[in-house]
Amino acid sequence: MTAHLVFGFPLGWQIGLPIAGALLVTMAWSLRRDGLGWWRVAALTGLRSVTLLILAFLAGRPTWVSHEVEAPNKNSVVLLMDHSESMSLEEDHQTRYARAVKLAREQVLPALKAAGWQTDVLLFAEDVQAADGAQLVAAKPDGRRTNLARAITRALSASAQPPLAIIALTDGAANEPSENSRAVAALVDAHTPFIGIGFGSDTGVQTLTLRQAEGPPTAPPRQQFNIGARLEVVNAEDLPAFDLLLMRDGQLLKHKTITAGKGSRSWVENFPLTEEAEGTHQYAVQLMPPVAHGLTCVETLATTTVRITNEKELRVLYVQGALTWDYKFINLALHGDPMVKLTGLIRTSAHSVFRQNVESAGELLGGFPSTLEEMAPFRVVVLSNLRPSDLTPAQQEVLARFCSELGGGVMMIGGAATFDSSWQGTRLEQLLPVVFASSRGVVGLDRPFHLQLTDEALQHPVFQVADASGNRAAWDRLPTFTEYGRVDAAKPGAQVWAFHQDDMGPNGRRILMASQRYGAGLSAVLCVQNFWRWRLAKESDPQTFDRFWRQLFRYLSESSRQDVAIHFADQELRPQADIRLVVEKQPAPKNVTEPRQNFVVLVEDGQGKKVQEQTLELSVGRPVETSFRAEKEDMYTVKVLDAHRVLIASRSIQIRDVNMEFQDTARNMEQLQQWASISGGLALRAEDCHGTGDLLSQIKERVEQSHHDRLTRKPAGVNGGALGLLLGCLSVEYVLRKQWSLP
Amino acid sequence: MKRAALLVLIGLAALPVREGLGAGKDENLATFFMGRIKYANDNGNDCSSVGEDLMKLVSQASTIRVQEERRLRLTDPQIFETPFLFMNGHDEFVFTEAELANLREYLSHGGFVFGSGCCTNPGFPKAWRREFARIFAGTQIKQIPYDHLIYRSFYKLDRVRSNNGNRNIYLEGLFYQDNLVAVMCEDGLCCAFSANNNCNMGKGVDVEDGKKLALNIAVYALTH
Repeated sequence: MTAHLVFGFPLGWQIGLPIAGALLVTMAWSLRRDGLGWWRVAALTGLRSVTLLILAFLAGRPTWVSHEVEAPNKNSVVLLMDHSESMSLEEDHQTRYARAVKLAREQVLPALKAAGWQTDVLLFAEDVQAADGAQLVAAKPDGRRTNLARAITRALSASAQPPLAIIALTDGAANEPSENSRAVAALVDAHTPFIGIGFGSDTGVQTLTLRQAEGPPTAPPRQQFNIGARLEVVNAEDLPAFDLLLMRDGQLLKHKTITAGKGSRSWVENFPLTEEAEGTHQYAVQLMPPVAHGLTCVETLATTTVRITNEKELRVLYVQGALTWDYKFINLALHGDPMVKLTGLIRTSAHSVFRQNVESAGELLGGFPSTLEEMAPFRVVVLSNLRPSDLTPAQQEVLARFCSELGGGVMMIGGAATFDSSWQGTRLEQLLPVVFASSRGVVGLDRPFHLQLTDEALQHPVFQVADASGNRAAWDRLPTFTEYGRVDAAKPGAQVWAFHQDDMGPNGRRILMASQRYGAGLSAVLCVQNFWRWRLAKESDPQTFDRFWRQLFRYLSESSRQDVAIHFADQELRPQADIRLVVEKQPAPKNVTEPRQNFVVLVEDGQGKKVQEQTLELSVGRPVETSFRAEKEDMYTVKVLDAHRVLIASRSIQIRDVNMEFQDTARNMEQLQQWASISGGLALRAEDCHGTGDLLSQIKERVEQSHHDRLTRKPAGVNGGALGLLLGCLSVEYVLRKQWSLP
Repeated sequence: MKRAALLVLIGLAALPVREGLGAGKDENLATFFMGRIKYANDNGNDCSSVGEDLMKLVSQASTIRVQEERRLRLTDPQIFETPFLFMNGHDEFVFTEAELANLREYLSHGGFVFGSGCCTNPGFPKAWRREFARIFAGTQIKQIPYDHLIYRSFYKLDRVRSNNGNRNIYLEGLFYQDNLVAVMCEDGLCCAFSANNNCNMGKGVDVEDGKKLALNIAVYALTH
């Protein structure tokens, strides 16, 4: 063993020593000045110098570092054999597993035997088991997952002493990463090198996969919709034609022959369908694998469920006292959304009304609805450029009932012409989330301003207009606006979404966007004139504007109509797993009056058989997480029932046993190299193993290196001897000073 | 003295025009403002009052509050603050690459262009068709049939007859993602609604039809 001293804080002694020297000189000079004899000065200075030297030394945080060459405690090596299903892939007329067994028998095991090392063999896939030679040969590569980390942990913990090395024969395509950190820590602690030998080709094999079946969640009767089959071909240069079958509720419905073409690609094959009657159907797409040598069909069946319903699309009534460009741009935003339909009701002259997208010739012929029945087909009403004289008190009352009783959304949008002080004290003002200002300010003096979203808004689903990382930036890129409507304050309980960047009102910065619950519905305001500038601006992405409006209308129309929301957690969905879900009671009037209620969460499988039932107490704003066990592949439906077992909400989820082993069939040497590098090991391609001797020398080199490289560190100077010397010097100095009557 | 009288006269003449435009005290609340564009070698002055006349037309026939026209170049960033652009002319023109790029972005973000040939000269319509077809790859200028909403967005027009010859006049348009984003009339439409067809020399659109059609285009642009 060799050792040397290192200082963790060398500056400590580098500064400490000169200071100590200076102190000693000063002390000696002071003692001489007091008339002390030379030998007494020397004695006291010597004692003090020992004390100061010890302190300066310790200030440098000295440590003994030693390289230990530890003799191996045990002459054993663990051989991990991967028998997951990806090892069954054939390349050059031989499976990866067969090649691994051959290499183990012809090179690895003889090499280990020649070195005099005992070899323990572990077969691993999703789990680990010990095996002897016969079991190794007889084993089938059929494991559904590859958990290399678990195999490493098991290899390290199999005996009291860690093995000299862990050698893994695998394709490296480990797909269970959950135990990786535990295995890494164990491997580093044990100083055991990981030697990975990779099998398979780096490009993978030819695969044809039916990734999933896609369909709309709902479709109206007698209207065409598509069931799509998402297909993927990898590494197949010339794939023969194959068949796709479409089944509805287990019965064959359609069939089509697909000519895949050349090269790797992913595409969707559509089956156009029309259903006559309402109901829920399960559509299954079955891929009939073509006969092609070397081709592996990974997934051949996928299902999706479509509810055929007459439920109409979300209708938005946009009412304007005069035409504005906002209407046009919002109309554009909704173009690509077949479920949101904008109906315009706009006064274009003193005696004419412009109606757009009405359902019948008579709809809205009399202008703004004056009964709840006329209003009922709409889910959201937007008001712009209206004066109180444009809406009679009776019409305002209908609007308030539409919001509070029917759960509709009401929104007011515009600038000073819209947020006019004459609305003060009206029924409309009562239902909106803001208090109107008495004055609309000096029109025309507004400076260009930015919209500043509140933190609540940035977290709100309505405002997610770009992916999570770019959302705030997308809002920051909004152009400046020029005019806005003044409101004085938000009402109690209202949620403010955006402020003016600096303009102050009587209650702080001016509010530009806000919403509140009103009865069963929601109301909102957007106090910005010419909000369309966002979409037209050169630097903006029109899709962000479009997304905002679609989300806003959905929020205003839907949130209050569902009492309980069901969300599935972000997780891998597969059979024999716990499927986590969150149920949350939504804010709604009846939920406010009954803050805590018991609900039944019922989970059914595809045949309507009960899988789980539990009672949960839910309250607004307190989501409750629960889970159910999905034992098999199936379509599971989660239902939330109230105390009278009335269905409140439901959501379906398909659990498929996706073959993870064939998701990526290429050999993953990178993963093997990572395991090797953290443990001082080695990653080799199987084709690079040339002979027993060469392999053995490489393994031996890594084993020896890992044992040579052990370093031990011990703090120096922090021990009883140093402390005793320190105290002894101080004590002797104290005694001498007493005897010589020195201070 | 003569000069002072002239100024008074000009002032008096301006008053009804401003009222007509609906500018007045609500000018800042205007919802319709139009960019009169200068493009290629054209300085945007052909039939110079036509832009204001279009604004007047929109104002008189509807409740739309309008502002004075803005004079803009096609390469000007301000076109992205002006959702309706008007261009007219007599002659051939060729867009520069910068103009094409700006127009491409402008139209794909929701902007609208109304073009009109002046005095039924064939040069402008021919160039308009060719140049607008260059904006989006693979698109062509299409004739807009009479069942299109643009013919009944405000006034209901079953058909628009030509002043000369027994033929119908159709608008032509550029569509982007199924939206009509630019329209053009080759038959001196701007001269019909602005100059009582004086320069169309017996050809072109009837004055009343021209006014209705122009207003329909404006209302269509405001609603689609």
